[in-house]
Amino acid sequence: MTSRVMRAAAISSGCLAFLIALLCAVLTGSARAAGPNMGTEAQRESGKKLYLTYCSQCHGDAGDGEGYAASRLYPRPRNFTTGKFKVRTTPNGALPTHEDLVNIIKRGMPYTSMPAWPSLSDGQLSDLAYFITTFSPDFSDPEKAPKTVSLPGAPKSTKESIEQGKKLYAETGCDGCHGTLGRGDGPSAPTLVDDWGHPIRPADLTQRWTFRGGSSREDIFRTLSTGLNGTPMPSFLDALKDEERWAMTDFIDSLSESHDPGYTDLVVARHVLDPIDLTKGTAYFESARVARFPIIGQITEPVREFHPPTTSVTVQAIYDTESIALLVRWHDMSAQKTGKNGPSLPVPPEEEEGAPAPAAAGGAQAVTDPFAEEQPAPAAQASEFSDAVSIQVPSQVPTGARKPYFIFGDAQNSVDLWFFDLARPDPVQFTGRGSGNIAPNDTGDLTGVASYDQGEWSVIFKRPLRATSGAPFSPGQFMPIAFSVWDGLSRERGNRRGLTVWYSLYVEPETVPSAVGPMVKTALLILAIELAVIGWVRWRYGSRTRGEFGGKPTQPAATRA
Amino acid sequence: MNILVVLAVVAAFGLLRFGRVSLLVWAGAWWVGIYVLLRFGFTAPIPASVVSLYMGIVSIAILAYVSSSQERRDEISRPLVRFMTDKRYTAFLAATVVAIPALAAANVYVQMNVPLQPPLFSRTVHPASPSEITVHDKKIDLDAGENPFRHLEASSPTEFRTHVENGRKVYYRNCVFCHGDNLAGNGMFVHGLDPIPTNFTDKGTLPMLRETFLFWRIAKGGPGLPEEGGPWDTAMPAWEKFLKEEEMWEAILFLYDSTGQRPRAKEEAAK
Ligand code: HEC
Ligand code: HEC
Ligand code: HEC
Repeated sequence: MTSRVMRAAAISSGCLAFLIALLCAVLTGSARAAGPNMGTEAQRESGKKLYLTYCSQCHGDAGDGEGYAASRLYPRPRNFTTGKFKVRTTPNGALPTHEDLVNIIKRGMPYTSMPAWPSLSDGQLSDLAYFITTFSPDFSDPEKAPKTVSLPGAPKSTKESIEQGKKLYAETGCDGCHGTLGRGDGPSAPTLVDDWGHPIRPADLTQRWTFRGGSSREDIFRTLSTGLNGTPMPSFLDALKDEERWAMTDFIDSLSESHDPGYTDLVVARHVLDPIDLTKGTAYFESARVARFPIIGQITEPVREFHPPTTSVTVQAIYDTESIALLVRWHDMSAQKTGKNGPSLPVPPEEEEGAPAPAAAGGAQAVTDPFAEEQPAPAAQASEFSDAVSIQVPSQVPTGARKPYFIFGDAQNSVDLWFFDLARPDPVQFTGRGSGNIAPNDTGDLTGVASYDQGEWSVIFKRPLRATSGAPFSPGQFMPIAFSVWDGLSRERGNRRGLTVWYSLYVEPETVPSAVGPMVKTALLILAIELAVIGWVRWRYGSRTRGEFGGKPTQPAATRA
Repeated sequence: MNILVVLAVVAAFGLLRFGRVSLLVWAGAWWVGIYVLLRFGFTAPIPASVVSLYMGIVSIAILAYVSSSQERRDEISRPLVRFMTDKRYTAFLAATVVAIPALAAANVYVQMNVPLQPPLFSRTVHPASPSEITVHDKKIDLDAGENPFRHLEASSPTEFRTHVENGRKVYYRNCVFCHGDNLAGNGMFVHGLDPIPTNFTDKGTLPMLRETFLFWRIAKGGPGLPEEGGPWDTAMPAWEKFLKEEEMWEAILFLYDSTGQRPRAKEEAAK
């Protein structure tokens, strides 16, 4: 009965394909769950329209990942013709399920250009997912129909499970890629390439908000169980038992200090009593609050950097009677301590396009067996460009809203750049009057030390509070501050870098005034006024009722206070 | 206006009216009622400083009213005097005497512990454009000018579509990182930008602007903004450094086409 109504409707609309698809859907009914799930012709048609509007500029009209925006994106937009998808509930190498595709389109992939699409309806997402299956013949192959792996629910994370996970982490060889502390700096990290020949960096496991497949414990567990197809990140479904994978998940979960990056717009410089001593290194900064600032690509001035590998820096600041010191830290897969760098090194415009510099020579072969007993560390190569970092402050304390232009200042308002080429022992100062006008201004005021350890650069800058040139830092004052980071391995230099917009540095006064004094003062003052009013009222009007009080003047408030 | 709040206040006044409460209660009710209206009655919140200014005026007005005749003064002071002298209220009075300084002290504590906030500066989002700019050595009249491709929409739709498509390419190769895939101002770098990139899908933005205004903003970017626009903070690039003049006009066509909006006509935008 229903099928006849449907048939009539379909025929009257003259859409034969629609009819056939419907019939197929009705006929195959239950069998479909096992076979290919590619939706109906109508769904794919609707998906195609959406795809050509929203997706093809990146993923290409033919789904080959070669849209016109692609050359500026890294990681590159996915080539759907290969049927390789990272985020799945299916075994390593298998196709994703329909739900997997819907989910990843809806959620997007953090810290890549693959956006989340919360604005699309469930029906539209589903149509898109069906359309994507048409790009790879694998989806229509009944042999390859995806079956989900079993992903049991999460047991509670405990101290023991984290400990166990930590042990497994080293035993399983995760550190070969992800590094001992999980900062993405394992010995083979710089050599990794994905299945499309593009260099790929192991995830920084201490920054779970950057995980492509999501950062909940369930997401991490799924990644460990199914791997990320098309990347060197393997699946551990067979190598590790469920409990072991959960333990590993708990360990990874414990590596990030928080679930979110907790980006802020303010770093507070704390007063310290002992004179700041650079030889004491980072331990000195323990009392200072950590501020994390997001790093984005410099895409405002030519030549642009669309995909800086650094995604954030953390900053701490302290000051003594003489000087202020800032500790800037960020994670870097490998330190480039040779070569040169500079804020105004020229970059040929061609370098804007294309993926980052190729992986270290001979890399692809080096990782064919990531679990080999001894990972031969790639020979330290002399890099052409070194890593570098800079702090930018206005040359004069701004009096109003007017600040120098956030990219190296402007003609009227210059900035001081505290620049540290990490191939050199000391930082130097520049004066910036715009990207095209940067001059050395080395007064010798600036000192600093830098160290690289286990995937992290720690760089300390120190300058007198009142230097021979440059804006003074005064307690109780806000100072605009901005940062830039250059990754030598990605050939970043000059304008090709990661940067922050203006944020603020607050020099916290040596003693923060306590609230107790003013609180007591206010309370006593108000109490006194109250008592005076009540006393007056009782003296003035109380005569009428004096009898009631019977000569015992109750002063409850006074006794209590 | 937040209708629910307004209705609630009016209802409360109605109840008091029927309850025939004393003048003191009325004075209190007016004070509280107006405060509630100012604080919660408006959909766009009124700044705290403005609210306290209004409340100061309201306080003075109420004081003036209740002290305007002997009768009213008596009506106000009688319950107060009774509260302060009558034995029945002693416990109450004691509690009040303690509570008020305690509240004041708590207020001082809160004010001294407001989280540290970097100084905020307001900026004009759409400052007036100059009447003429020079882009790639060519003078462009922003007052009388038009998008050179707009007329094709009626005269040559296919040619027009080509230009829109070109604009789409310009957008996704250059603007997407900040203004986002669906033009909603949520590109992959927004978490690191302040001010945030314009959301072009917002109904109050593109339709309110002329194409020549957008051309000025695109060609000259943040550095081209006048003083009140805050050129030092916005990351909006000066696209004349990267794009040809036509590409910028085409990008504008795409912005309107993609969001289904129409530019503001010349007449409407009388300066
Ligand atoms: C601005 C460019 C851009 C746009 C627009 C875009 N994508 Fe992507 N997409 C990417 C990139 C880049 C990746 C690869 C991310 C990675 O590999 O980490 C990706 C990956 C994917 C994946 C693979 C997910 C996986 O698990 O591996 C799917 C599916 C996908 N996109 C679907 C879509 C759909 C559907 C749309 C349109 C609604 C769309 N994308 C729009 C850039 C884009
Ligand atoms: C051969 C190198 C290699 C090994 C070994 C390896 N990984 Fe990975 N892993 C990667 C790469 C590369 C990525 C980044 C993939 C991407 O960006 O798409 C990654 C990503 C991840 C992610 C983030 C997933 C996401 O959603 O982005 C987690 C978590 C992870 N790995 C955990 C582990 C654990 C735990 C182990 C050991 C059991 C391990 N990896 C072993 C290379 C490796
Ligand atoms: C680096 C980030 C960035 C990029 C890339 C970028 N913009 Fe912007 N854009 C912004 C920001 C931030 C604002 C809001 C602040 C302002 O008005 O300057 C803005 C504002 C605008 C405005 C002003 C809208 C208004 O309401 O006045 C227009 C028009 C505009 N952008 C167009 C574009 C076009 C077209 C492109 C690509 C060719 C582009 N933008 C690329 C960051 C960017």
